[in-house]
Amino acid sequence: MGIVPKETIEVTAQSIGITNLSPEAALMLAPDVEYRVREIMQEAIKCMRHSKRTTLTASDVDGALNLRSLEPSYGFASGGPFRFRKAIGHQDLFYTDDREVDFKDVIESPLPKAPLDAGVVCHWLAIEGVQPAIPENATLEVIRAPADNKIYEHKDGPLIDVRLPVKHVLSRELQLYFQKIAELTVSKSSPALFKKALVSLASDSGLHPLVPYFTNFIADEVSRGLNDFLLLFNLMHVVRSLLQNPHIHIEPYLHQLMPSIVTCLVSRKLGNRFADNHWELRDFTANLVSLICKRFGNTYITLQSRLTKTLVNAFLDPKKALTQHYGAIQGLSALGHTVVRLLILSNLEPYLSLLEPELDAEKQKNQMKSYEAWRVYGALLRAAGLCIHDRLKVFPNLPSPSPSFLHKGKGKIINAEPRKRKLSADSSENQPPHKRLITTDGPDVLRPHDHTGPAPMHVDKPIGNYNLPQNSAQPSSSEQASDGESRNGKEKERGKSRAITMKAILGQIWKDDLDSGRLLVKLQQLYGDRILPFIPSTEMSVFL
Amino acid sequence: MDPEQVDEFVMGYLKKKGFNSAAKQLQEALHHNNGGTFNSTDYHNDPELTKLIRSFSQSENDPTRYRDGYSKLRSWAYNSLDLYKHELLRVMYPVFIHCYMDLVGKGHTREARAFFNSFRKDHEMIHLRDLQKLEGVLVPSHLEEMEFARSLRQSKVNIKICQYSYDLLLQYLHRTESTLMLGIINEHINFQVYSGQPNSSSDDIDAVTIVGSFQETADHINQKEIQWGLLEDSLEDRLEKTGSLLSDSEKGQGESKDGDVDDSKKRSNEIGKQGSSLKKLKKDKAGNATAKVARQETSIVSPAPRVKPELALPVMSTDVEESILEDLRNRVQLSSVAMPSVSFYTFVNTHNGLNCASISHDGSLVAGGFSDSSIKVWNMAKIGQAGSGALQGESDTNDQNVGPNGRRNYTLLLGHSGPVYSATFSPPGDFVLSSSADTTIRLWSTQLNANLVCYKGHNYPVWDVQFSPFGHYFASCSHDRTARIWSMDRVQPLRIMAGHLSDVDCVQWHPNCNYIATGSSDKTVRLWDVQTGECVRIFIGHRSMVLSLAMSPDGRYMASGDEDGTIMMWDLSTARCITPLMGHNSCVWSLSYSGEGSLLASGSADCTVKLWDVTSSTKLTKAEEKNGNTNRLRSLRTFPTKSTPVHALRFSRRNLLFAAGALSKPAS
Repeated sequence: MGIVPKETIEVTAQSIGITNLSPEAALMLAPDVEYRVREIMQEAIKCMRHSKRTTLTASDVDGALNLRSLEPSYGFASGGPFRFRKAIGHQDLFYTDDREVDFKDVIESPLPKAPLDAGVVCHWLAIEGVQPAIPENATLEVIRAPADNKIYEHKDGPLIDVRLPVKHVLSRELQLYFQKIAELTVSKSSPALFKKALVSLASDSGLHPLVPYFTNFIADEVSRGLNDFLLLFNLMHVVRSLLQNPHIHIEPYLHQLMPSIVTCLVSRKLGNRFADNHWELRDFTANLVSLICKRFGNTYITLQSRLTKTLVNAFLDPKKALTQHYGAIQGLSALGHTVVRLLILSNLEPYLSLLEPELDAEKQKNQMKSYEAWRVYGALLRAAGLCIHDRLKVFPNLPSPSPSFLHKGKGKIINAEPRKRKLSADSSENQPPHKRLITTDGPDVLRPHDHTGPAPMHVDKPIGNYNLPQNSAQPSSSEQASDGESRNGKEKERGKSRAITMKAILGQIWKDDLDSGRLLVKLQQLYGDRILPFIPSTEMSVFL
Repeated sequence: MDPEQVDEFVMGYLKKKGFNSAAKQLQEALHHNNGGTFNSTDYHNDPELTKLIRSFSQSENDPTRYRDGYSKLRSWAYNSLDLYKHELLRVMYPVFIHCYMDLVGKGHTREARAFFNSFRKDHEMIHLRDLQKLEGVLVPSHLEEMEFARSLRQSKVNIKICQYSYDLLLQYLHRTESTLMLGIINEHINFQVYSGQPNSSSDDIDAVTIVGSFQETADHINQKEIQWGLLEDSLEDRLEKTGSLLSDSEKGQGESKDGDVDDSKKRSNEIGKQGSSLKKLKKDKAGNATAKVARQETSIVSPAPRVKPELALPVMSTDVEESILEDLRNRVQLSSVAMPSVSFYTFVNTHNGLNCASISHDGSLVAGGFSDSSIKVWNMAKIGQAGSGALQGESDTNDQNVGPNGRRNYTLLLGHSGPVYSATFSPPGDFVLSSSADTTIRLWSTQLNANLVCYKGHNYPVWDVQFSPFGHYFASCSHDRTARIWSMDRVQPLRIMAGHLSDVDCVQWHPNCNYIATGSSDKTVRLWDVQTGECVRIFIGHRSMVLSLAMSPDGRYMASGDEDGTIMMWDLSTARCITPLMGHNSCVWSLSYSGEGSLLASGSADCTVKLWDVTSSTKLTKAEEKNGNTNRLRSLRTFPTKSTPVHALRFSRRNLLFAAGALSKPAS
């Protein structure tokens, strides 16, 4: 039987109110119905072809019905083609996916945007037979296997698998462009022109085929020109422009670029003249690194971990020069405050002790060395300061205690303790014992965040939902007490109808808060007043 | 066998077949002989003959006989010698469809369907579309009603077959006494037996295509003489004359050429020629020097004959003439090594509503016909000037759509009352013609932005309309199976070309204006004489609906593209296919020859523009026929678009290729 069984006819007849259709009539009608349906479809396909489409739509069927002087089918001309779904459990039963629409949703939803009007845009599909690599064109397969040649070989002679070297076709214009940019970068003669070149690099479409050449160029020049400060700076500018260009897909080439960039960050010597401001280059490169990590960190997961590993190694190696340390610190600090907290602050204490002799003008006779040391110290200070600043800002729900609460009994304690600390920090002769104190203290500060850290501290953590602040750290310092107090105060304020979850959240907040506080105090111990500009006033009033 | 019985069989057979008078005579003769001496001559005692007669008398209506006969023939053909197999298999298809139609005709719907389904796989590869049509034939009345089935029933299929294959087939049919198959073969197949070795299986396309009754008429028609040459005293002619003069004078003074170039630049800016950018202009000029050299070569290679125009052609104003001459002089010479530049116009935000696109001869105007009955004309020259940075990408398109003063930047032409299926620019670009599903053709002025004339004549949707190469006249074609010739100043058609067996889907003028070509859903392309309205050529070979046509500028060749993506190159004088150009895998919407006819560009629904080398595929025919190498087509380049089916193509007079299409969202 055909695709229209007589049951279909019977069902259709019933649906339009003919109840007494004889089976014979249905049997006779079925093939004719099929024929008519096919006829309509044939005409509909013609309409579709003349509408230059390859998908049949309801409007084509309407057109076909019109051709046969029949009434069109109303209510289906909704634009796009229908999507049929297969009914589960049936072989050839399909239905249109017709969602139920809630009136409320329709009324509440904002008015749909007006459809955009038709327009025409023009672009070069090909220039003298070569497709330019512009975003309007389909992406070319840059590396194409020589399939044609192979087939040809097979046909003609015995089976020889000839693989021609892969050709990378580069248009003449692009070649010239590359040469010009390379020249400008190396020559350093006309900064104005170079600036324009950078803008072009950062904005022009169609440069993608050049990216491998640029990465190669940069790698070569960096390894060759470590003594040439200006060249390095130019190269880093080129890297930044390439990164900025929205039309370039630079990710596959990052692995080639990163070594050059890291070199410019932590190399022992950049440039050979005293006047070369290599600090600036390092700062610039550090920003570049953070830009890369932000953009590609998600897709390229190992990127940041590898980078930080390199930088931390440079940072912690006492044999490395101070300039290298500086670069590493700048790089790490550019990666965000979490990195700083985990990697720099945890090592701050021993490092500062190493740096101490260099800082001292009396002990360190070499002026240059001393300058470098101060530079490193400054970088460290900045990193730590920014970190703490961020950290204090990151907790917007830091329960800023109500003013009255502040004034209540707590103020005394808070004020008393920092004063003592300040004193101790200022008196430089007191430092050695102080340091010892903090080294025992330091790890504890960090540990609560280090979730994979050693177990001992975690033992009481689960219970810490209720009394975490007390347990997570030794209650030796006075903040502990103040925290405990403030918590109690809070509790009192809120009354007793608090859910346990609420407690947990609060506990966490307090824990973080406590950490920040401890960190702050520690930093204050280390840096003294120098850290103060980084700390927002509210927090300062709370903690110091 | 009882003689009586035999007589009875014979009587029954005659009656069944409707030979009533013969039956009557036989009866009389029997009566007459009854009493007298029965000189039993031959047939009663001849056992072979009796068997044959009996087989005829066997229940004729037994539907299983078709199945048995066909399956036996099939298995025999498949087991035959490899060398002859493809020729024998070619016989299977007509036998198959006629068996099916016989079954349907006798009312065995169920058996017919079962038969059809069990063997359709064999033929699906080549004849899929025919099978889809035939599948719907289920009752005898459909056979009458359906054009395709009727023409199949009435006609004979020509099959070329070598002597040995033919003998094999006949031997088999006789040996197995499959009279039914023999009957079908005799009735519907016309063997053209030739001596020698069988043909290679691939190259004769016409052998596998079954067309209606007009195979013979086609052959007959194709004998007619046609004048495919160019018009005498055409601009090309004049250019060649002046061109040689120029090249002489150029030897003396190189500066004059520069001045010339500057002039042309000015002029083309004034007229808005070459549209949007000066770049194109420069490019065109760059190829100028080489062009001159190469042109002289080609003029030696193919001196196309000159013919007189049969139509009264419009007189061209000297301005227009001059600018065309200038363009021709500055034409870039294209070849397989010198590729054209392609400028692509992408329609955005069409919401699936763009039915057709057309580009003016200089590429500066683009018209789109939409399914909401509107026509929109964009002036690309203006757009190019307004927003120099307008090509940045999709984000900019919004701003670009709205002109500088907040208005839309196209001209909206409203007037049709149905989807617009075709639009065409007059050669100078001052008029647009559009055809629509509302059965009318409308003439619009691009200067007044208004409708001038509405041409009514067709009875069904008008699929295509094309201006003649010299303007004034235009041709249209429609679902009503006719093509018509019109002139702009009359609302009635001048000629009606009837003869296609199905919709006429596309139409194209011959460069000398004396002929038009039409492509149809009956899978043929026809060439019509404009003056007499007669069909002068039928081109058979396509396997599906013909969607696009293009004539080579020298008027010798024609290219046609179909629904499956096949492009065929035809020699007009011999009506033979020179090369099938395979490469596209979806509808070929548009074809265009380059100015000097060395390249053919094709645009397809598979989102590519392809360039084909015409010279090599036509020139090498003779040499390669000897080698038997059929792969002489040369696809030079494929330019994929991002996601834009290519609706229209045009080579400008300077050989810049313009393409247009609507951006379609890839199916998600």
